[in-house]
Amino acid sequence: MISRRAVLYCQLISLFTVLFSGDVSAHGGVVEEDDLCVIKVNYLRAHFKVYQPGALGHEQYCEDLPMATESVFVMEYLHDSLSEMPIDFRIIRDVTGKGRFARMEDIDLIDDIDSATVFYRAPVVEPDIYLVNYQFAEEGDFIGIVSARHPDTGKVYAAVFPFEVGFTGLGYWPFFIGMLMLIQFQYLLMSGRLKRWFGKEVAVAACFVLGLLLSPVSFAENLVVTYTTSDGDPEINKMHDWIVHIENDDGLEIEGAIVDVEGGMPEHNHGLPTKPLITAELGGGDYKLEGMRFHMSGYWEIIVSITTDNGSSKVTIPLQL
Amino acid sequence: MSFGLLKIAAALAALGLFVSACDRGASRAPEWTEAEVTTLKSLWLESLPDLPDDPSNAVANNAIAAEFGRKLFLDARLSANGGVSCSTCHQVARRFTDGLRKARALGLSDRNTPSIVGSQYSPWQYWDGRRDSQWAQALAPLENAHEHGTSRAQVVDTVFGDTDYRMTYEALFGPLQNPAGSSNVELNIAFANIGKSIAAFERTIMPTTSRFDEYVAALVRGNADAQREILNADEKAGLRLFISKANCTQCHNGPLLTNHEFHNTGVLNFPGDVPDKARAGGVREVFGSEFNCRSIYSDDSAGHCPELDFARTGIELIGATKTPSLRNLEHTAPFMHKGQLPSIADVLDHYNKAPDAMIGHNEAEPLGLNTAELQQLEAFLTTLTAPVSELGVEL
Repeated sequence: MISRRAVLYCQLISLFTVLFSGDVSAHGGVVEEDDLCVIKVNYLRAHFKVYQPGALGHEQYCEDLPMATESVFVMEYLHDSLSEMPIDFRIIRDVTGKGRFARMEDIDLIDDIDSATVFYRAPVVEPDIYLVNYQFAEEGDFIGIVSARHPDTGKVYAAVFPFEVGFTGLGYWPFFIGMLMLIQFQYLLMSGRLKRWFGKEVAVAACFVLGLLLSPVSFAENLVVTYTTSDGDPEINKMHDWIVHIENDDGLEIEGAIVDVEGGMPEHNHGLPTKPLITAELGGGDYKLEGMRFHMSGYWEIIVSITTDNGSSKVTIPLQL
Repeated sequence: MSFGLLKIAAALAALGLFVSACDRGASRAPEWTEAEVTTLKSLWLESLPDLPDDPSNAVANNAIAAEFGRKLFLDARLSANGGVSCSTCHQVARRFTDGLRKARALGLSDRNTPSIVGSQYSPWQYWDGRRDSQWAQALAPLENAHEHGTSRAQVVDTVFGDTDYRMTYEALFGPLQNPAGSSNVELNIAFANIGKSIAAFERTIMPTTSRFDEYVAALVRGNADAQREILNADEKAGLRLFISKANCTQCHNGPLLTNHEFHNTGVLNFPGDVPDKARAGGVREVFGSEFNCRSIYSDDSAGHCPELDFARTGIELIGATKTPSLRNLEHTAPFMHKGQLPSIADVLDHYNKAPDAMIGHNEAEPLGLNTAELQQLEAFLTTLTAPVSELGVEL
């Protein structure tokens, strides 16, 4: 038997899905995912944020903007192919009458999009990050349209995101979310599903642990990595070479391995200033590493990735400079 | 004077004696730990290594080339309107900066004018490191429409048409062709040689002794009286913060107070500009630069270019700009890559808060310094100034 609450719950979910998410999954728009504002240009995703630096400094916004002022739109690619695609960016006054529910179909119906356009940036490939700076002259409802053309297929993907400038309230969001939480809680309580789900969660956790155990990384034997530098103790800001010596814990020197070296300062969340490379294998488990440089004192970690016929492993060398 | 006042005066006098005794007592205890002294010495100008050779520039250490370069540096004929020289923006009184947010010559350029002092030690030139030598850098503004706005043919023609210049050029580099009849490569060689001469001059613009350096010298010699006289209590407190909890030496290290590397410190965009991608674009540009270390215009026959070979690329560099030297800081305002911050106090306030970056991520962490500490740091930073008369450059 289906309870009335379940019916109401389903109705609300459907309404919510149609109004907010359906458009996004079908074409593209701006959504919040785990506290991260994301723009979806079809399947291509980018971290999306807007600043009003002149008036509001470092405060960042996802869609609606507090003031009609200088606004900087930032898209940090979460999908590499966006860095190779010509992307254009258009802001129009909302002439669709659909407000925040406007979709691509509504944009397509606009006769003269140019006359509604307040800002347009022609397609351009931006390899690192996509940036737009637009000075809003007035408050009101606007729609942003981002499109990206696939360089191989020529297919155009678009994202449409309605937003308000001079935004003061929170719109309908708190109402919808509050209703949903209340109804969902009641429904779960009445139907006894909470208990059943508890069991399911344990199963999910077990699957996850199993997945980790069976993960496709195979580890070689325990390897020991030591190094000597060309100049004794590494000197800050000076490029120098290392000899990296690799052996297993039985003292057997590892030869013919593919060795990659990365590193950085975990406390500062940045890497090495250079991209050091193994330039020669010297025999006896020794490898020549060129292009090492440290540009700060502090705690560094050098991560040596070693791939042999027996598998791969990573050895971290801690270094206090 | 009443008896009461006399008592107060006597008490104050006694207190004064006590305080001065304490002061003397304190000065006998070592002011800096051994590790701190090591750090202070690492920042000392005396620790500056000899200027490394520039194998890409055969006249880098040639005095005649340096003198030729000095004249070129000042010569406004090397511009589209005859009114712009290198010294238009690199003004010696401002320690080779211009006091403007963004450089202004024929037009408004994209970034703040960096100082030349100490740049001969850096593997990268410009805020974004888009050139890998001083000579390659010196060529770029000549052809930039917002700066000198001239062309390589016009630059070479100016040298060709000036008897003194041409004689000096030919003594240094051999016969100079009339640019009108030169091939592109011949023209580029002559243009590069002009840049190499300017670089030979710029290599002579060395940092000189500041009060901070005198203080470290006194410390090393164990001259306590001199130490007390050279830096006051606030400046010393600021120095202590500089090498400890203010984290400044993470990037501003070594005798030039820079690590010559690129960091994102979350400075806001310049009004009306998009945030500056900085090194992310600069590293791409230096690889494509026609006058880079790997080009046929480099004089290094070994073709040894370790900086390019091991240059880091990637999204970590978005918004990362080169750490500037802090020497002569008080004469190089406004600060940051687009002059966004007008004063040293603004810069310190920015690092104290370490806000989220508009693009990329801010590598700095909030410092939690109080107002007094920020003032002490500012006081210390003014001790890094060297008198302009001692720059050893006559312009």
